[in-house]
Amino acid sequence: MLSALLLAPVFFAPFQEDEAQAPRGRALVFRVDRIETLDGEALENAVVLVREGIIEKMGRAVVIPDRAVVHDLRGQGSVLMPPLVLGHAGFLVEDSRGFGRNSRHTASDSLWLDEDTLEDLRAEGVLLIGVDPPGSGIPGRTSVISSVSESPRPEPVIGDLHLKVTLDASTRGKDAVRDAFKNAEEAIQKESDARAAWEKARKEWEEKEKKKAEDAKKAGEDKKKGEGKKAAEGKPEDGKKGAGEEEKAPPEEFTPPEIGADLEPIVEWVQGKRVAEIWLDNAAEWLHWREVIGDREHARGIVFRHGQTTNLFEIADGVAEAGVRVDLPARMSFLPYTRLRCNLPAEFLAAGVENLTLSPASDSLTGVREWRARLAHLVAEGLDRSAALKAVTVGPAVSLGVEDRVAPLASGGKANFMVLDGDPLDPVSQVRFLVADGEVVWDRSKEEDA
Amino acid sequence: MMLAPFFLLFPVLQEETPPPEVPAPAEEETTEEIVEDPEEEADEEEEEEAEEESPYLAIVGGRVHTVTRGTLPRATVLCKNGRIMKIGSRVRVPEGARVIDAKGHHVYPGLVAVNSSGVVSGSGTGIRDSFDPFSINVDLALAGGITTVQAGNAVAKLTRGSLDGLLTANGPWVTLSYTSTSPGGRRGLRASLDKARDHMRAAREHELDPDPDKGDPPSDKEVDSNHLALLRGEKTARFNASGLKDLLAVCDFLEEYPMKSVVWGGQEAWACAGRLGRTGTSLVISPRAKRQADSRLNRDSGWSIENAAILHAAGIPFAIIPKRASIDRGGIAGRDLLALAMEAAFAIRGGLPQKEALRALTMDAAGILGVSDRVGSLETGKDADIIVCDGDLFDYRTFVQWAVVNGKVVYDKATAPYFAHIRPRESQD
Repeated sequence: MLSALLLAPVFFAPFQEDEAQAPRGRALVFRVDRIETLDGEALENAVVLVREGIIEKMGRAVVIPDRAVVHDLRGQGSVLMPPLVLGHAGFLVEDSRGFGRNSRHTASDSLWLDEDTLEDLRAEGVLLIGVDPPGSGIPGRTSVISSVSESPRPEPVIGDLHLKVTLDASTRGKDAVRDAFKNAEEAIQKESDARAAWEKARKEWEEKEKKKAEDAKKAGEDKKKGEGKKAAEGKPEDGKKGAGEEEKAPPEEFTPPEIGADLEPIVEWVQGKRVAEIWLDNAAEWLHWREVIGDREHARGIVFRHGQTTNLFEIADGVAEAGVRVDLPARMSFLPYTRLRCNLPAEFLAAGVENLTLSPASDSLTGVREWRARLAHLVAEGLDRSAALKAVTVGPAVSLGVEDRVAPLASGGKANFMVLDGDPLDPVSQVRFLVADGEVVWDRSKEEDA
Repeated sequence: MMLAPFFLLFPVLQEETPPPEVPAPAEEETTEEIVEDPEEEADEEEEEEAEEESPYLAIVGGRVHTVTRGTLPRATVLCKNGRIMKIGSRVRVPEGARVIDAKGHHVYPGLVAVNSSGVVSGSGTGIRDSFDPFSINVDLALAGGITTVQAGNAVAKLTRGSLDGLLTANGPWVTLSYTSTSPGGRRGLRASLDKARDHMRAAREHELDPDPDKGDPPSDKEVDSNHLALLRGEKTARFNASGLKDLLAVCDFLEEYPMKSVVWGGQEAWACAGRLGRTGTSLVISPRAKRQADSRLNRDSGWSIENAAILHAAGIPFAIIPKRASIDRGGIAGRDLLALAMEAAFAIRGGLPQKEALRALTMDAAGILGVSDRVGSLETGKDADIIVCDGDLFDYRTFVQWAVVNGKVVYDKATAPYFAHIRPRESQD
């Protein structure tokens, strides 16, 4: 909430003059034929009342306050639902990096947006975008940006998120990951050795101090007994000792040895403090990946690239068993040289994968435009409808750590949603409104007038 | 016996020939011996109890071609933990074993392709890092009966769906160039081998008389380590020689520098089989690869369909491989790696006994790759790499029904998406 408020001026400045906006304090109302809350049943013929960035009320019987700005879209099959979240967008960054380890790099550093790109994404109902760093190997960390920001260099919502790791099934590709593990584990060992040494030194020093204090106390007692007799001898002796120990005294706080900026994210990953997104091309690379990580259980995000992914059904059970989240291209797959078709998302759901993201089959603006149509094809071929809708909205939101912004719709929740003039799985239907934090950030009617 | 070669007269007519219900196997009436160890019966129960958890695989009731120990008409091959545990007609199948009903089928050791491209990628131990165990080419090679391939100077098993048990041998040979067209290259090779030989001699002398006054043991810095390994018999030399001139040059070379060797090509080998045989070399031949006779020469030359038969008569072990050792998706069917058995069928057509053709695809090919201790025949203790065919291997109608690698069923025609619809068989699962 706090971050949203901080970012609010940036977000909404260009839209302040919009007529569709409700002036401060005034309610914004959408009357639609259906609300896909993505949390249980859809609400038919219902109303959403938004005030101050929050869905104040949602349901069939909502009292519409005076002076509310009302958008009535009933009677055309309109649907209100959470906005799209683009889990992986590589087309928003300049892509000139090759293979290597550059884990200090974040995707937001290399964002490269055309003037209209973000607006085009808003027009498709995309609110949040996970941006991948370009390159392969361990090329950097992902960022999350909002489509409601300034082109061409938007401030990221989350600048530094997952570590991107690609695994090529080759000695080079596997060695890159093996080396990263080796270096990180050496760094962790080095730190724990240094800590142990410091603790030992500190303990010894404390014991000495204690002994010294005892000696001093004893000396004091002796002094009391002997009075001024030994005073002249005792004082310089104590002084000498104290000076010697001050030199040796280890620091109070442990300072861990320096870890290179490039290694730090990998160390965090190995320690389980950072999620890595593993990019794989095909079923074989999953096995190679399992072999490389051995008994380390790091693979908390798995992205299957949009290339040669058709044989992934071979490993669906293994992936589900590993409990990782999965990002698949939203399209039907065909096994080459056969007539076999495969609904991979349905297979992965059936295998028990819990967090599924379906990204556009093509990593481009065109891919985003075709996204819902491809999704519809998957649903027509047996993918569960609500699973499909979740996999393009609330599913990727969880993966990107923005589930506070895009979540199943509920009264009292954030007013982030889109309104379509038809079913989201009907390729003909269009996004009429995109609402972010209670403000209309895309209004198709305005666009058509202009 | 003669049936298979007869069909091979017109292999392209495959589609026009009405497929019989059960393809007639080319009968080989040599039930030579029964591979059954009476001692094994005794400890059977004991073993069963000791390792109850480990899954068994039993291939029951097929005609088992062991390659090294004859053919058993109706026998069971029992596998356990990836190895062949028992072969015989009275083998009891343990409870819970996976059973393949091979009645009316032929059981062979998995075929060994001494060369391949596009089945496994990478080279050497790198194969381990780049193998795609779900690749279609792996499936198709298994459908062709191949369970072991050489690629990139490494020997890999087609462990479909898994990376375990893949690499079998690394670097089986050192390729030497000794051709009639490059006298300089020949001189260089001989010089290097002479140096290696001198080094070996010096090292031996030092070993026999380690007198400290005579200095340190000779350094092998200047010596080619591969050539040293060849002379010591630790590695195999590979020559490419097809024509008689090159083959005779290789014979000269091997007489001067005896070493383990394999000659690739050998199209005119039939014309110097006796000489080749005396060098102790093995050959890799492609019976279908033709070579025009040179009419200017006053001697035998050119290709002969009898090449394999003549080599066999001369006692030369050889492997058979198609000239294009890849899995082709274009061109003419039946000439690539997928038709390995058909390549050998042409040798049968030229007079090679059928069981020798099988040997050339299994045991002798494994020998050339240095893995005959593990694959190439059906014997107790060997790797359970087995194919089950619905007819004789050298009949063009025959399909591989099951392929087993390391005791795991890695290909089942009824469930794999390629040939299931052709003369369908119901899945036994």
